[in-house]
Amino acid sequence: MSVLQRQKKKKSILPGFGLSLGFTMFYASILVLFPLAMIFLNTASMGWSDFIKTVTDARVVASYKLSFGAAFAAGIINVIFGTIIAWVLVRYHFPGKRFIDGLVDLPFALPTAVAGIALTTLYVPKGWIGQLFTFKIAFTPIGIIIALTFIGLPFVVRMVQPVLQNFNAEIEEASASLGASRMQTFKKVIFPELVPAILTGFSLSFARALGEYGSVVFIAGNMPMKTEITPLIIMTKLEQYDYAGATAIASVMLVVSFFLLLLINIIQWWTNRKFVHS
Amino acid sequence: MSIHIKHVSKNFGDFKALDSINIDIQTGELVALLGPSGSGKTSLLRIIAGLEHLDQGAILFDGKEITHVNPKERNVGFVFQHYALFRHMTVFDNIAYGLKVRHKKTRPSKTAITKKVTELLQLVKLEPLANRYPSQLSGGQRQRVALARALAVEPKVLLLDEPFGALDAKVRKDLRRWLRKLHNNFHITSIFVTHDQEEALDVADRIVVMNNGKIEQIGSPEEVYDYPNSPFVYDFLGNVNLFKGRIHKGRLKQGSFEMAVPEFSGRNEEAAVGYVRPHDIHLEKLKTSADAVSATVSHIHVIGPIVQIELKREDAEEFLEAELSKEHYKVLSLQVGDQVYVKPKQLKVFIPEDYSI
Amino acid sequence: MAGHVPMQHAKTTVKLNHSSLKEPKVVQWLLTFIALAFLALFLVLPLITIFMTAFQKGLETYLAAITNPDALAAIKLTLIVVLITVPLNAVFGVVAAWLITKFDFKGKNILITLIDLPFAVSPVIAGLVFILLFGAQGLFGEWLFNQDIKIVFAIPGIILATLFVTLPFVAKELIPLMQAQGSAEEEASLTLGASGFKTFFLVTLPNIKWGLLYGIILCNARAIGEFGAVSVVSGHIRGMTNTMPLHIEILYNEYQFAAAFAVASLMSVLAIFTLTLKNIIEWKAKHI
Repeated sequence: MSVLQRQKKKKSILPGFGLSLGFTMFYASILVLFPLAMIFLNTASMGWSDFIKTVTDARVVASYKLSFGAAFAAGIINVIFGTIIAWVLVRYHFPGKRFIDGLVDLPFALPTAVAGIALTTLYVPKGWIGQLFTFKIAFTPIGIIIALTFIGLPFVVRMVQPVLQNFNAEIEEASASLGASRMQTFKKVIFPELVPAILTGFSLSFARALGEYGSVVFIAGNMPMKTEITPLIIMTKLEQYDYAGATAIASVMLVVSFFLLLLINIIQWWTNRKFVHS
Repeated sequence: MSIHIKHVSKNFGDFKALDSINIDIQTGELVALLGPSGSGKTSLLRIIAGLEHLDQGAILFDGKEITHVNPKERNVGFVFQHYALFRHMTVFDNIAYGLKVRHKKTRPSKTAITKKVTELLQLVKLEPLANRYPSQLSGGQRQRVALARALAVEPKVLLLDEPFGALDAKVRKDLRRWLRKLHNNFHITSIFVTHDQEEALDVADRIVVMNNGKIEQIGSPEEVYDYPNSPFVYDFLGNVNLFKGRIHKGRLKQGSFEMAVPEFSGRNEEAAVGYVRPHDIHLEKLKTSADAVSATVSHIHVIGPIVQIELKREDAEEFLEAELSKEHYKVLSLQVGDQVYVKPKQLKVFIPEDYSI
Repeated sequence: MAGHVPMQHAKTTVKLNHSSLKEPKVVQWLLTFIALAFLALFLVLPLITIFMTAFQKGLETYLAAITNPDALAAIKLTLIVVLITVPLNAVFGVVAAWLITKFDFKGKNILITLIDLPFAVSPVIAGLVFILLFGAQGLFGEWLFNQDIKIVFAIPGIILATLFVTLPFVAKELIPLMQAQGSAEEEASLTLGASGFKTFFLVTLPNIKWGLLYGIILCNARAIGEFGAVSVVSGHIRGMTNTMPLHIEILYNEYQFAAAFAVASLMSVLAIFTLTLKNIIEWKAKHI
């Protein structure tokens, strides 16, 4: 019996590695990897000049500007109000707080189409809110921003809430005991701790808003060059059987999505490094 | 069941956790793996249990090689450092687990299981808590459940990973004694890992002192404490005073301190270090021996029944620590600032070069 | 982690007592008012609109709308899609979480990113990719045509698109949970003689049950409500390939507002039910 043996590297002690690896890779490949790869494969077969022509067409570029701009604006609104909402929910007490807290997740639970028609009905010129204003809200970029704000609302709130909840009150007390005013304490002590969560919430809201379709397509009006978001252009091209065009624009959106995903992961990695509390 | 560990090595990437470890453990022995963090002791224990793979070497149970046998088949009882109790099961179900998951053919009947579990609950004195959940128990109670759970499957080997590390000092002491008694009654081959030398000295039949993945010394508690074979073992097993000097004509010299070291008579002019335990330092107010060193009392710590005296040597900028019983201290009636004469009763000399890597 | 907000644990409300540690009362009132007003405007008002518009033509119209054969077919299809996609993605989530949290292997990060992707991708693109694969002009288009198998513009396509979009939910919920719980209990189970399967079912599964349930509820809500992806692959064939959201779209575009909102109200009730369940689970998980 050989006592000095070179061991063959077995993967692990806990069982199920082979099975779970096989299943997971298979499932993720046929549902995610392979289909997404199709976008790039198809675009590659399109030819560079055709590709550039499609993705830089004036109408398409107008949609980029609209999608980006509206998503950004909605993100900012959500940052401001989301932080306030998180603060109020964590720090203050009022009747029905638990109910309101639960309600914040509504945009996650409600189908986008339902949200879309509800918001449209509210903001059309004859709608409850629409009639209060002299200018049009629905069928303008403002309407789009409102829909995207709805969609992204929970992200900032849910990212900031845990940070506030786990916040060490002693730090605030220390700041106050050293003579800082409430505003100073907030600016210098509390807010910096919230920044990573706010950034993450913003990025999540922004990424979601960029690709959003269902809640926007009803309120937007969908007029080319004015109120047409990029996902809609893809949809339109599909309906016209212009698969190549749809794919080209989709690949641009995908690259942006990947980039955003990377950004979000970097922010979270940076957060964990900087703010790991024991 | 006897255990033979032959030339076991384990790497984690570039880090050598275990370097060709050889240990032979007899049936019914209670062995301690003692060492600082990173010495490899827990890795070795987990390899014996089958919870880690080794890179080289072999493990034999009763002469049969079980290196490639998975933990399920090894019939070892493992007690984890943080107990690893099944949090959603009661104490009773935790202990019964090993019996319930057996194959239909070897599974005992429900009554048999209940009987066995009850026996074990009585053994660990936790009968009234049988229906509690782990989160409702104290640390010491959880540890006893973990032990009972491991014993339920009647293992041939009991492995314990720093079993008392997370407990209060008093609880630790009590459980230590209790483990020793348990072992005396049941004689299961047991290996436990600890970084607490007092624990190892108190409980084990034999101690394996480990450092940096290697074995420094294996021996009974007395052997490793009284006859340590390296500076590391000496230092790790207890407090130490150092006399760093040179060997000259068969004597260790440092400042005005001199002592005969016949075992090194062949080595001359080599740097050497003398190791003395605090309780082996002899203190007297009058100089009765020529090679006693003069020192001043700088601090006196009365700690319960023991008195620790910090001394400053007059011939060198060095401090010594002596330990006296309270009675002896009272007899000497020492005060801070007193001049005393100090001489080691026993001295163990090591030549640093022999131990440098 | 894009698009995923995990279950909230350990809700401890911060208690500050001294007056110098709190904002002036005026500021507190103002902030509370702003927060509540914003939420009322964006969340409460739309909900009210849905129910009011649903009933604006009376109860009879409402009932007719939701018992209409096309509506019933849409409800049935939504149910079928949910019953197939949610269990599949739940199983995937559990297996993937086991793989990722218990083992180390090359390419683990790639796998994690892969699981993240559906959250980052626009739903329209999610539908598009399956057209590219299985549509008439798609990669497998000809082969499918010859075998007379319909995937896009038929139920299988809807299921695939929904699977894509809801894939991450259970996995993203379980991975941090299982990571935090560690593997010590599983190791203990192995040393006590249990097989891998027994260990999973008796030790792991009970420990993750609330996280699993939470993930399933989120997955379920998304599967029911998915619109963009399904819109692309369904072909909008009335009575056959319309899910509830698509049916709502058709009704709305035909100016049948009351009917559209009637169906929408059903989905809203489901959404509120989802929220309630979600909160119950969060509460239960905290009080274990």
